[in-house]
Amino acid sequence: MEDLMKDLAKAKPPVPEVDRDRMERDLARITALPRARSARTRLARRFAPVLVVAAVIALVVVLLPRPTEPVQPAAPRPWWHVLTQQWSLMVVGDPADPYVVRFDSKTDQWLTSGRQVTVVQKDGEVSPLTSEDATKWESAGKPATVPQVGGSHLVRMGPMKPSVQKTNVAGFQMSLHSKARFDSFDSLPADPVELRKSLETISGKDTYKTATLAMGMMVANVRNDQRRAAFELLKSLDGARYLGEVPLPDGRSGIGVAIPAPPTFQFSGVETQLVVNPETGLPMVRRDMISTAQHGVPPGFPISEEQYLLLDSTTIDPIVPQDVPVNGPVESPVVER
Amino acid sequence: MEDFSAVYRECYPRVLAYAASHAGAQRAEDITSETFTIAWRKLDQMPSNALPWLLGIARNLVRAARRQTTHLELTELPSDDDFALIELRVALATLSEADQEVLTLIAWHGLGAAEAAQVLGCTTAAFFVRLHRARRRLQAILSASNFDRARESWKTS
Repeated sequence: MEDLMKDLAKAKPPVPEVDRDRMERDLARITALPRARSARTRLARRFAPVLVVAAVIALVVVLLPRPTEPVQPAAPRPWWHVLTQQWSLMVVGDPADPYVVRFDSKTDQWLTSGRQVTVVQKDGEVSPLTSEDATKWESAGKPATVPQVGGSHLVRMGPMKPSVQKTNVAGFQMSLHSKARFDSFDSLPADPVELRKSLETISGKDTYKTATLAMGMMVANVRNDQRRAAFELLKSLDGARYLGEVPLPDGRSGIGVAIPAPPTFQFSGVETQLVVNPETGLPMVRRDMISTAQHGVPPGFPISEEQYLLLDSTTIDPIVPQDVPVNGPVESPVVER
Repeated sequence: MEDFSAVYRECYPRVLAYAASHAGAQRAEDITSETFTIAWRKLDQMPSNALPWLLGIARNLVRAARRQTTHLELTELPSDDDFALIELRVALATLSEADQEVLTLIAWHGLGAAEAAQVLGCTTAAFFVRLHRARRRLQAILSASNFDRARESWKTS
């Protein structure tokens, strides 16, 4: 396939020579044209007098002497806030002519000792992956639900309904993916070998489960030295590959490690990659990649991805969407046939 | 102003090449000129990496030009190209316009996937899938029997 692209590059039609005179003539003509004033500038001019008055009032208020206030001790930072954006692919439709849909949503989670608040399916939507997939869905009459290929369920297209879950539980949950709980994360070793022994008391000798626990731990409110130990542990697992620097589609980059993963019900040859910030060890992206082309999805392409938008301590109480029943049933986009 | 002039001089040849490959050499200069005129009017929206944004403008102009005209200008191609390249161009031309765009943005115009996705107004993820499918379809056309027959007839003629 790479050769094909190289051959195609050779088949590029001849590039016309640049007429320098015309180029410079056009530049002079273009830069002599008036530029459209931006809406921001127009607004600024229109409201300039109001802004000046407001600025003067603000300055007066700021400069007024204030009564001395008692110094408050620093407030505790009780919540660990995790905001993730995740998407995954599913093959649907007629098995003879399937197409791919993408589940896209955010998960907002606040964790503290004994309490957790989770918003799932936030800004969620199921939609065709590409315009070609959209054409297939449209030519099928834009059905509200479409059958999974190779599965027994239907997929509901369109927006997902968010759901808020508030629970009172003992200790800390490690992550959304792992139900393992700890009284405190402080006891987790910062040495990779000791950490592996500790996690294997939960996962047994299952390498992928151990990897999942280590990845989950890195998302939790642990110290940076513990995160670094978890990353070293991942690198040491059977079949693990250190990826070195990994560029991300948004222009950032991190360092990554890949672990062979069990097949999903639609995709095989899967590996889980975790890309972390090399300075803090905080996860940036976790994704499942396929090694061979399957269902029109190219090799080396993620079939699911979780991007960590926020991993931080906060004193601000959880902000959950209004008009969403708390602890009600979650309306999954995957429904019974 | 200096920034715009610098971007103009840097990107002009690539916008011209894009316009020529999609609308023919005769209209390429006019489309390029119009692209930069629009860019000048929208200068406050110009990103630091301006090329994908400029190609996005040029793309819209190419499509508009195609809607207004009833004939397509044949691109002048070198006559001394070998058969494989001619075959490849013919195979490319039989693909849908969308597939051709995806392939040529990478192979001819040297864009990265994220930049090409920006030109087409889709996500990078969707672009990778479109690229993979377009490559597969191009490969399938090249492997098809009619091209094999054509190749044979070329050899015997």
